[in-house]
Amino acid sequence: MKKIFTKFSVLTILCLFLFSVANAQNITVTGSVKDDGNIAIPFVTVLIKGTNRAVQSDASGNYSISAPSNGTLVYSYLGYITQEIAVNNKTKIDVTLKADTKNLEQVVVVGYGTQKRKDLTGAISSVSGDDVAKMPAVSPLASLQGKVAGLTVVNSGGAGSQPVIRIRGIASTNDANPLYVVDGLIQDNIDYLNPADIESIDLLRDASSSAIYGLRGANGVIAVTTKRAAKGQTRINFTSNVGVQKVLNKIAVTDAEGFKKLYSTQLANINAAPFDFSNYTGNTNWQDLILQNAIINSNSLSVSNTGEKSTTLINLGYNNQDGVVKYENFQKFVLRLSEEIRVTDKFKIGGDFTGFHSKYNPASAGLNNALWASPIVPVQTNASTFYAMPSFQRAQVGNPIAALERNNRSAINKNFRFNGSIFAELKFLKNFTLRSTLYADYAFGTSRGFSRPPFTFINVGENGGATTTTKDNLFRSTVTQGQSESHRYQQDHTLTYEKSLEGGHRLTAMAGFTSLRFANSSVSGSRTDSTLVVPGDPDLWYLGIINPNNIQSNAGGGGEESNAGVFGRVSYAYKDKYLFNGTIRRDGSSRFAPANRWGTFGSVGFGWVASEEDFFKNNIKGIDYLKIRTSWGRLGNSNSVPGNLYQQGLSTGSTAIFGDNIYTAVQNAYQPDPNLHFEIVQGTDIGLEVKALDTRLSADINFYSKTTTGLLTTFPLPAAQGGLTYFTNLGKNTNKGIEATLGWSDKIGKEFSYSLSGNFSYNKNRIVSLGNTTEFQITGNSGINLTSTGQSIGYFYGYRQVGIYQTAKDMLSMPAFSNSQLGDIAYEDINGDGIISPLDRTYLGTPFPPYSYGMSLSLAYKGFDALVEGQGVVGNKIYTQRRTANFATLNYESNRLNAWTGPGTSNVEPILDNTRGNNFLFSSYFLEPGDYFRLRTVQLGYTFGKTLMTKIGAQRLRVYVSGQNLKTWTKATGYTPEAQIGSILGGGADNGVYPVPAVYTFGLNITF
Amino acid sequence: MKIFNNYKRNLCVALTAATFVSINSGCKDFLDTQRQGAYTADNYPYPQGGTPYDQFLFSAYDALRAYNYVSDGFMVVTSIRSDDADKGSTPTDGGADVIAMDNFPALTNGRVNSLWTEYYAMIGRCNTILDKVQNDKDIIATDQMKIQAEAEARFLRGYSYFVLVRAFGRVPKIDKIQAVASNVPQSTPAEIYAFIESDLQFAATNLPAVWDKKFVGRSTKGMANGILAKAYLYQQKWNQAMTTANIVMTSGQYDLSTPYTTIFGEAGENSKESIFEIQGTASATVPTNNGIQYASIQGTRGSSTEWNRGWGWNMPSAMLEAAYEPGDPRKTRTILYSSTASTPSTTIYGQTAPLFPTDVPNTKYNQKVLANPTYIAMYNNRAGWWMNVRILRYADVVLMYAEAANELGGTANTTAALAAVNSVRARARAGNNSILPDVTTTDQTALRNAIRQERRIELAMEHERFFDIVRWGIDQDAMIAAGKTGYNPNRDRLLPIPQQQIDLSKGVLTQNPGY
Repeated sequence: MKKIFTKFSVLTILCLFLFSVANAQNITVTGSVKDDGNIAIPFVTVLIKGTNRAVQSDASGNYSISAPSNGTLVYSYLGYITQEIAVNNKTKIDVTLKADTKNLEQVVVVGYGTQKRKDLTGAISSVSGDDVAKMPAVSPLASLQGKVAGLTVVNSGGAGSQPVIRIRGIASTNDANPLYVVDGLIQDNIDYLNPADIESIDLLRDASSSAIYGLRGANGVIAVTTKRAAKGQTRINFTSNVGVQKVLNKIAVTDAEGFKKLYSTQLANINAAPFDFSNYTGNTNWQDLILQNAIINSNSLSVSNTGEKSTTLINLGYNNQDGVVKYENFQKFVLRLSEEIRVTDKFKIGGDFTGFHSKYNPASAGLNNALWASPIVPVQTNASTFYAMPSFQRAQVGNPIAALERNNRSAINKNFRFNGSIFAELKFLKNFTLRSTLYADYAFGTSRGFSRPPFTFINVGENGGATTTTKDNLFRSTVTQGQSESHRYQQDHTLTYEKSLEGGHRLTAMAGFTSLRFANSSVSGSRTDSTLVVPGDPDLWYLGIINPNNIQSNAGGGGEESNAGVFGRVSYAYKDKYLFNGTIRRDGSSRFAPANRWGTFGSVGFGWVASEEDFFKNNIKGIDYLKIRTSWGRLGNSNSVPGNLYQQGLSTGSTAIFGDNIYTAVQNAYQPDPNLHFEIVQGTDIGLEVKALDTRLSADINFYSKTTTGLLTTFPLPAAQGGLTYFTNLGKNTNKGIEATLGWSDKIGKEFSYSLSGNFSYNKNRIVSLGNTTEFQITGNSGINLTSTGQSIGYFYGYRQVGIYQTAKDMLSMPAFSNSQLGDIAYEDINGDGIISPLDRTYLGTPFPPYSYGMSLSLAYKGFDALVEGQGVVGNKIYTQRRTANFATLNYESNRLNAWTGPGTSNVEPILDNTRGNNFLFSSYFLEPGDYFRLRTVQLGYTFGKTLMTKIGAQRLRVYVSGQNLKTWTKATGYTPEAQIGSILGGGADNGVYPVPAVYTFGLNITF
Repeated sequence: MKIFNNYKRNLCVALTAATFVSINSGCKDFLDTQRQGAYTADNYPYPQGGTPYDQFLFSAYDALRAYNYVSDGFMVVTSIRSDDADKGSTPTDGGADVIAMDNFPALTNGRVNSLWTEYYAMIGRCNTILDKVQNDKDIIATDQMKIQAEAEARFLRGYSYFVLVRAFGRVPKIDKIQAVASNVPQSTPAEIYAFIESDLQFAATNLPAVWDKKFVGRSTKGMANGILAKAYLYQQKWNQAMTTANIVMTSGQYDLSTPYTTIFGEAGENSKESIFEIQGTASATVPTNNGIQYASIQGTRGSSTEWNRGWGWNMPSAMLEAAYEPGDPRKTRTILYSSTASTPSTTIYGQTAPLFPTDVPNTKYNQKVLANPTYIAMYNNRAGWWMNVRILRYADVVLMYAEAANELGGTANTTAALAAVNSVRARARAGNNSILPDVTTTDQTALRNAIRQERRIELAMEHERFFDIVRWGIDQDAMIAAGKTGYNPNRDRLLPIPQQQIDLSKGVLTQNPGY
């Protein structure tokens, strides 16, 4: 069957090539294009209607085009209302374009096609590529934070790291990641894109907009359109920025003096002998030593050209980011070629090619290691001799700098990716368009590494003993090598019918077919040399460097899956007043058993543009545009469901030992659910779009309700069931919310313009039921988070602190555990039975921020522009799990300096005594408010005037300075208050989150 | 243009047809993808030879070596909790969870949950095997193969429940694979003991007395009878305990010929003394993966390279030290004394012991888990993962026999009890007749105390003591004497049911008293 698919697609493409239509009778038309302020507009596309032939206006707004004498010219430019003018044998046509303050002509991606914003009946927001490109970030998604209502972006400061993205809450207990569609290609991420190469990002937020993606789109869709060649001209653009990243908020820990005081107190509290600190003279701030001010640099060069028959765009990107944790580094090289050939007016073919290469050097020290290491120890005496930690933490905590230096440049990780597509598009019979696209995506990863010999360690003499040094003489060096590969094939075929009828009817109908196949495999191995120490030379780090008779191990695995679907869409508009959109999709996924594979999905949407009604025009002043829309959609969700869970899988990793004989063994890998099926997500949406006061004021308000049934859940069965994981469908959850975006933009005088915008979203997540298929409680993060009926997914569940037991009288009068002692945390007696027991645990908050908001102010005066952006969340809690580690004596966070030492000393911080288990129970003591507001961006730019630029042969030059994350207001104590919501059932834990640094950048953008 | 039109029509037909044909029939194959590089129950090629159940059985033996099944959780719960051992290491090391195990009450999560989880993981693997034996028609096997596989699985399951019932008291009885997991409440200890007896009786009847050398350590009749005898002993079923212990003693498979000094080292593995030993091995190329972390957790916590062998947990207590009779050579075989500035100490392998307090933080370590330097050099590793864990020794069975016989009473039984306990003392004496004189009393109480004392010393640091003092009812006195003042017998005889498991069960599991 695979064969038939391939044949079918090749046939389609070939057929499309066979077409060729031509006609003539052209005259040359010239003219100029200006805006309503009589200023020339360059780069306006002048297109001969019904063809793909176009030119662009030059720097003075002039154009010249050879057009049929009876044809029609279409003048379009982003941000202006498109105009059509009949040629009628005129050879000179001057045009004045009106600014499109309503953004109605903007084209947005709607899934297997595009639509004009004015025709939408769903909630789709767009972010322009320029807004992404001018931010200093290697990942294009990072820059979306705070820009769009309903979109949650949780950034990580790690070099080259990807943010966590959520659209409209958490619709699934399994996977809440949105779908990415890059120029039609279905993807799980877009980290391979160069931010400067993005034309626009469209966010399909509601169920009706994404329903056409069937089993993939339930968490929303992020559709990325990459840049195309500007029409009619050769253009060269170069952008570059360079910045410094700096960690502004370090975690407050005790210094040597504070540590000695606290550890001595603790030992006294447990009646242990005092520790002999006499030879520990250090006072080391380990955090300062592993963090650094790090460089970030992005460059992008693009060349585009439009010829008579073809357009070409070449883009080269290079990003280099050092991590703020030493010695992390990420580099990415992107090369993209986009080509379109207009074979005839009716027929075009083209293709895209993206090559991607990244290199990653991971951080060589752990953040927790630096927080835990005792400050009383000096760092080192020379490059290969380091101090060991004191005996109370030596076995568990290493010298962070020794680890840093030992791991530095001991691994090489490279990733390669090549993807692209070819398409052919044929217009026939006036109203029909047939388009076929074939996509391929190949990704390869290689990693190699070695282990450096350990250093010599100085054991500081304790209890009168001499200071000694040790060096591990059993060390043997290991070389590792791994390769991975994945490939993905996709084909989309669509047939579109577009017709405008007399009387204001416009109809677009589309039907299509798509399939996707994905497979991956990987191998890895290691060898350990029993006689030689492998040198730190990357040229040697291949498995073959070590004799195969040494210790070796290897591993390999793979996966395969496929998807197929048919789909259709009908859009209808009457007089731009009454709008209708409907989609349908029949979709199947190989992840499920044959009986549960297929589903039918779809959507309907209605829009009413009240401002087009006569009564509105006649009676209502001040409102320029008002649209009310409502829609409903139904999707499936199969994201991140491992394949074939309906069958009993086996795992082969275990061994039985009898004497010195080793026998391989096999056991069940998980508990299968033969009835496993996809989740069903249904959503309704009501939206209101308003432009008022000469379109200076704009508002976009949405109400939504989204229901997921058959929740896919990795179920933590009670251990008595044998400890296997169980993946099954449970009950139902809802996400209801409001999104509001308000904007104001105006000019003061001729030269000064400003705009102010804000967005706000509220999302309420609630488990309606967990179904009747389970009798068990769903927990996350070892029982810290619960998921149960009537509450939000994964809420915090534990004891609520009411104080500290101060006096013996307290112990008598306040409810307590049977073994509570003075100085312990006093918990609230929730059930009022006079004692504290597990029954007193209660709801303590949600890890998911219910409220989030963003705001921005931009100003322009002559050549100057300025931008200020802020962003924040309200209402969630953060679990400071990093403070709960107590497997050894670790350095203390500064809050412990206030620990209870006697009546009245603290009503928050318990006594220093890590043997008191009651104080380590999960409680509100370990929660802090997740609310924050962050000054996200302050940017100041200057654009040099055309006259100056023309002298150096350029058209435009903008230079800017920018600061990101300059200040964060929060009560959270970690490196960043951004909610850690990557885990759905066990979210919100701060286990040493990578810092999100401030970034100070200088950049330029020049166009020739 | 006509050609064009024709073409268009044909194309449309072709497209439509292709699309719908594909969707309706062809996609069935397109969407049939299989797990890559991983077997399913349907395509697993059962190996020739052996029994077709072996591969699944071996996964249960694999679970014997699991971290908490036999190392951390097991050692902490059965040994550190007793009066004969302390946590060891630095005062705050390991945190509240293990410190609370040393001086009570145990925390309701953490290690308790890990122990519970790994014992039920083993039980799950055993139930999988039983399910294959009973229900998997694809496996071609003789009745003999089925019975033997069932016997092995039931032995491992019975033993696991025996640990669970002693540690937790009431536990859920999961006796088969559940297609749809149901929320099973706890059974009473009596019900669990009945279940253990039926498993071990079946195993004792159907397991081989001995395996081919290549399967040394695999479940035998002796293992099943030995653990069964202990299960009877815990229920004070003295008659059955004595009879069953006697079956082991007359089986001809075991004797007391192995010197006490040899039993615990590498050289003593799988000796005539050994009934049930969890097997670990190592090689210079794979020093830990096929082994057990048991010895490493208890290994000396030295700052010097030579004595950096582990965490230094499970320190023999002063109480244990004081319990030895004068001159008993078992004392120095059991307790490794650290050297001090004034008094150097020597290990059983002739090395100078690490120096306290400058090299190691404790004065005593468990010498029974001390790895032989010859093996350390051979495997190029100090952590001792290759050392087998002695779960049931022959001397244990002999002392069970003695205890049961004495409890039954009567001249013949008393004589038998005396003979048994003295046979153990005779070996301990190692030819030195000036020490450890024979027990001669025929007074039941005096002999009971003598047998208990012998059991404590012979099996010191071997995971018997905590459960023994609890079943003898001397736990409170023993703990207070040992300075474990937090001990409350009404609560601490049993571990708490893991709170996490209670939560997962939505309260179907209930907590033990006092927690």
